[in-house]
Formats: sequence, structure tokens, C-alpha cells
Amino acid sequence: MNKSSALIFGFNKYAIEILKNVEKEYDNVKIYSLNKEDTKNEEYDISHFDLSDNWKDIEDEVNIDKSIAFCILEETSENIFLTISLRASYEDLSIIAIASHKENANKLLMAGANKVIPLVETTADIITNMLENPISNTVLHDILYEKSELKIAQIKIGENSHFQDEELSSINWSHYNGIIVLSVMHQDMSSEFIYSSKAKRHIIKEGDVLVVVGYETDIKEFEKKIGSNRYVNWSNWSW
Amino acid sequence: MLKNLIVDGAYFLQTSKSYQRRKQFFRNLLENNKYKYKKYVDIFMIILIFISVGVLIREVKYPIHDYMFYFNSYIISIVFFIEYLLRFWIHSSVTKIIVERAEHDSFISREVKIFKAFKKIISVKLSYMLSISAIIDLLAIMPFFHELRLLRLFILFRVFKLFRYANSFQTLASVLATKKFEFFTLLIFASVVIFVSSVLIYVMEANNPSSPIDTLFEAVYWSIVTISTVGYGDMVPVTFEGRIVALIVITAGIAVLAFTTSLVVSAFTEKLDEIREIKTVEDITKLKQFYLVCGYEDVAQDVVRKLSKTNKNIIILDDNIERVELAKNDGFTALNYSPGKAESYKKLHIDFKKQVKAILCLYENDVENVYTALTIRSLNKEVFILSLLMENSNRNKLKFTGINKIVYPQELIGLVTKELIGQPVAFEIIHELRSETSNVKITEIAITQRIIDNFKDIGSLGNEDYRIVLLGIHKKDTQRFYFNPLGETFLENGDFLLVIGYDVFIKEFEQHLYTKVNNEQK
Repeated sequence: MNKSSALIFGFNKYAIEILKNVEKEYDNVKIYSLNKEDTKNEEYDISHFDLSDNWKDIEDEVNIDKSIAFCILEETSENIFLTISLRASYEDLSIIAIASHKENANKLLMAGANKVIPLVETTADIITNMLENPISNTVLHDILYEKSELKIAQIKIGENSHFQDEELSSINWSHYNGIIVLSVMHQDMSSEFIYSSKAKRHIIKEGDVLVVVGYETDIKEFEKKIGSNRYVNWSNWSW
Repeated sequence: MLKNLIVDGAYFLQTSKSYQRRKQFFRNLLENNKYKYKKYVDIFMIILIFISVGVLIREVKYPIHDYMFYFNSYIISIVFFIEYLLRFWIHSSVTKIIVERAEHDSFISREVKIFKAFKKIISVKLSYMLSISAIIDLLAIMPFFHELRLLRLFILFRVFKLFRYANSFQTLASVLATKKFEFFTLLIFASVVIFVSSVLIYVMEANNPSSPIDTLFEAVYWSIVTISTVGYGDMVPVTFEGRIVALIVITAGIAVLAFTTSLVVSAFTEKLDEIREIKTVEDITKLKQFYLVCGYEDVAQDVVRKLSKTNKNIIILDDNIERVELAKNDGFTALNYSPGKAESYKKLHIDFKKQVKAILCLYENDVENVYTALTIRSLNKEVFILSLLMENSNRNKLKFTGINKIVYPQELIGLVTKELIGQPVAFEIIHELRSETSNVKITEIAITQRIIDNFKDIGSLGNEDYRIVLLGIHKKDTQRFYFNPLGETFLENGDFLLVIGYDVFIKEFEQHLYTKVNNEQK
């Protein structure tokens, strides 16, 4: 994790939930609210901000380029405006925004957000999966939210990996019992399902990232074998 | 002595379970539209009616076979007669009337007046026999006495019997019945016009030798043909006065026709929603399994859309008429019933145990969801209820009402954010697998006996040939998920395979699991 601060713009129910989940991951988590009244809140440390392009106060406190911003203002138009302002001022800032609907999500993406979570669609997706695919839903939920020992990890092909220059499909992955390779990500961050026709002929290069599922210990074992470490590339993170 | 015997007999039948059960069976068969076998009886009777009419039509110009003649005259008549007797029997309960009388009289310490009971029985049964449908039923049996040629025409009454078996006729009748007063007024108006014009045209034309209208009957015939705007033209007034009368009748005819049309149309428009609702409720009763969605707000709209893609039956209840209309426009079955009222479910005749797969309380308002969930719990303790939670402080209230699964969107967003920043790529992969637009899907395949007959263990499935990743198996006996199982793992009935792959290949793979035996036989 090479981001040091998380900036949450907007103080509401989502802010509290996000704070709860990310405060351990960052050295510094700040909440900013458009409403001056919120700064009097005793439970949370909240600062005031406005939608003018004056980010000086914030810049004084944190290194914005090394931060991640959550734009969660409830008013969509304000949220879009905030996203545009942030993107215009900081090219490398990672911005995650919340949108009520997919339509607004597209606008936020156009405004420069790196990732948008459409509220209604995400909730509906989860409900539908709960009902229709209860088993896969539980398994995936456990994997994602770390209740089980089963994990999904991204493993980068290291410099000295003996898989280099081999065809992806020529390797018998079952030799590495305990892990399943799901997909491969190229250096340009495009991802290919392991059985896709494109991935089949793919020659493994240094820098490729394999997405694997397995138990923690097996993944560590696998990492040793291919000679690299678990890897999150934040600088190129965009969709 | 005889009186005691009758009262005892009535008590015996009234309390006899097998007698009452049989009577109920026939009542369902003949009168209960919701009874699943009734439609077969209806279809059978309709076929008999058509055969009967077919024979009558054929008989006009061609000779018919004897067996057809006997079938038409006797068999069909006997079937109709049995039906008539059954309807006569189930219409009212003789034993109940006797028992009520006996109880009433003995309660006030009087001697049981059995003749009073008989009087009531006769009046009740007679009222049935004199009802129009019963008279038609009786007349339809008449062709049994085929020696009397006139009685054979009663076969036509069999056509009227169709009204009994086709629900749409009953709907039509009930719709038109709402405009009884208007139709009556129209009838009076039309009768007066016909009467006056018939008399006038008769007076003007009957004595004119060149006029075709000679009798009063011909005058009435001409009036009706003219007023109905049919105007055959076989009879036309020839005198000046007669033609004046014709002008008046024609003008009146237009008024009568316009009035009738508007009456029928307005009756239907007024009743249309009600008819549709009745039809929807009937359709719901017939559904085998469905999701019941309470509230059609943003999240619900998306959930319903996603569920409908997997061809699931969904019923939407919402007390807001605009949202119900929206749901209907989106092509779903929706009713403007309040999900928080027990009455709504009674109207729908929902069998929670058999029909409802899950109830989704998706109002974006905790008060509504708690109210709905409590109502449903009061009706059924077991049915699976999922509810949205909007304010975390209300979580306990939702739990208390017995909701099985609570979905709190804020919490989900928190978790999603955490995962998104922790393992963005893995998150994307899982998100992609779950998304409806992606080609690569994660799917559950249920293991059935048929699959086990073809494949004994995981190793023999051959999923790699179908470019499918087998993530693991959910075993039924331990209720646990086993990731990346060994090839020797046995398959058992009720297990689920969790596979990842392209949609089309998964379908092919499933087919392969089911058809291996057949392929080998070939």
C-alpha cells in the first residue's frame, strides 16, 4: 500500500462505514464536510471544505498526490462537481466515488473518478446473488471479506521466475495443488480469463500478474515457487 | 318415529366426514374455479356440447349413424342429467336445514316441527330449479325424449350451457350487469320507439296494395330491422307518410345504437382494472413458485430486473399506485395491495409454504419493512424473508420481527470500499464474475442422481475440456464448501459444483454431465 492518507468528502452514513473499514489501512484518515455544523461533531474529527478550487487547507495537512479520495456527497451534482475539481487539480489522485445509479456512475467516471460504486446496482447485485447463487455468494463473500482462510491473491511474475517465456496453457497448474489460477493480467492491466483463447497462447512475461485462489499457506508456497511477491500496483490503477 | 329417524339420519350425514368430503369434492369439481381439476370437467362438458350441436347440424341434410344418434340422445343426456342431479345436490344442504330446525326447536324445548324444515328445503331447492342456469340444464336433457321431434330442438339449449363453463361469459355478464339500470332505460326507449313506429307504419302502409307491409308482424319486423340500422331492404315504405315514419325511425335507430355502444364500452372501461386484477390473482394462484417483492423502489426495481432475467416468477406488491403502474409498464406482475395488510395475502390466496420462494421487503424505509415482515410472520413462521435496512439503529427491530436476512447497503459499501483498496484486482475479478454483463460467470451446478450415474467422482468430470475452472464442491452432508477438491472426491446427490467459465461452455458442460450415458450408448 503506497497511499498514506484517505480523504473522505462528505459526512453521512457512508462516511462512517468507509471510515470503519479503511482506518486501519491508512496512516491518516480525514473527513471533510460541506456543512459547517458537522465540524462540531464530538465523535468524529471533521473539517469543513467548500466546492471552490481552494485546496490549500487540505494540502497543508496531507500530501494529496499520495492520497485516496472518497467522494460521497449525497447530492449527485455536487459530487460530480467535487470529482471534477479534484481531478482537475490532482492528476494522480485516486478517486473513488459513490453514485446512486449507473447513469450517475457514468457521469462520475467521465468526471475523472477512478472507480465508482453504484449504490442501487451494487445492493441489487448482492441481493440477487444471495437468492439465486447462495453457495457461490457465500464463498465469494467469505473470500472477499476475509472470513475464510480462502483468499484471492494477485501474484506478479518475478524477474527470475522459471515460468517466464512459457505458454500459459502449456503449464500444468494442477502441479501446484491447492491453488487455482483464475486469470492473467497483462502489463497494460487488461485481464484475461485463464481459459480464454487469447490467454491460451499468452507467453508469460515478467510483470504479468496471475490472479489465484487458494488457502493462505498454499499461496505463500506458490509465491516462493514462482519467485515473486504479492503485488498491488497502485500507480497504474485505473479502469 | 319416522321423524326421529329423519333427524337422526340428518345428524349422521351432517357429522359424517366421508359424506361431507365427497360433497365438497363435487362442489369443487363443479363450482370452484380455483380447483385444479374443474377445468377438465369443463372441457369435457364443452366437448359433449359441441358433439351434440355438430350432430344436430349434420342431421339437417345427411343421415347420421345409429351409434352417433344414441350417443347424442342417451349418453350425453345421461351425463347432463347426472350433472343436473349433482348440482341439485350440492346447491344446498338438506341435512343442514333439518339439523338447524331440530336444534332450534329443541333449544326452545318445543317439539321438532319437521314439516317446517321440509317447507324450507322445498323453497330452497325450488329457487335453485327455477334459476335460469338450472332451467337451461334441464332443457338440455330433454333431447333424451327424442321421439318427440320438437324436443330435439332443445339440443340448442345445450349451447346455452356453454355459459356455465366459459369464465369469460360470466365476466361479460357481470360487467354488463353493472349497467342494469341504463340497459333497462334503453330497452324501454327502444320498445316505445318500435311500438310507435310499428303502429304508425302499419296504419300508413297496410292498406296500400303496392306496399309490402301488410300485417302488424311485418310492421314490427320492419321497425326492428330499421331501428337496428341493419335495413335489409326487403320491405320498404312506399307512401309519403310511411317514408316520414322511416326517417324518424332511422334517426332514433342511430341514437339507440350509439347509446348501446357507449353503454357497453363504459361498462368495460369502468370494470377493466377490476377484471385485470381478478385475472392477475387467478394467475398468481396457479404459479408454482415465485418471489414476492414488497415495495417497488430503486433497489427493488433493479433486483426484480435481475431476477427476471433468470426467468423467475416475481410478484410485486406496493401500496403506491404510481409505483405499481411503473412495475406494470416494466412488464412485471404488480398489484396495488398493501404488503403490510394480512388481507392482501388472503385475497391472493397465497400458499406461503408451497408457492413463495422468498419474500423481499425492499421498501427504502425501515418502518414499512418491519410492518410488512411482521404481517407475513403472523401468517407464516417459516417463509424466508429478506429485508433492506436503511438505518443501522433499527437492526434489532428487524431481527426481532424474524427477518432471515438483513441487507444494509451502507455496510456493504464500507466492505466493498475496503476490498477495493486492499485487493483491487481480485475485487474486480469477483465483481466481474458476478456482473450480469460479463461473459465469464461463476455458476452452481446441482448434482443429481443422473449425473452420478454418469460420473462417480470429480476427476472424471472432464471440466478442463470445456475450459471450465472447478472452484470447489459444496457437500450436502457436511454443508461445507471444499475448495479445489481432489480428483477422488465422490459426487453425491444434493452436492453443488462451483464452476467458473464462459457462459456457453458452462451450458455445454452441464449438458455433457447429463448426457454422457446416452453418448456412450450411441
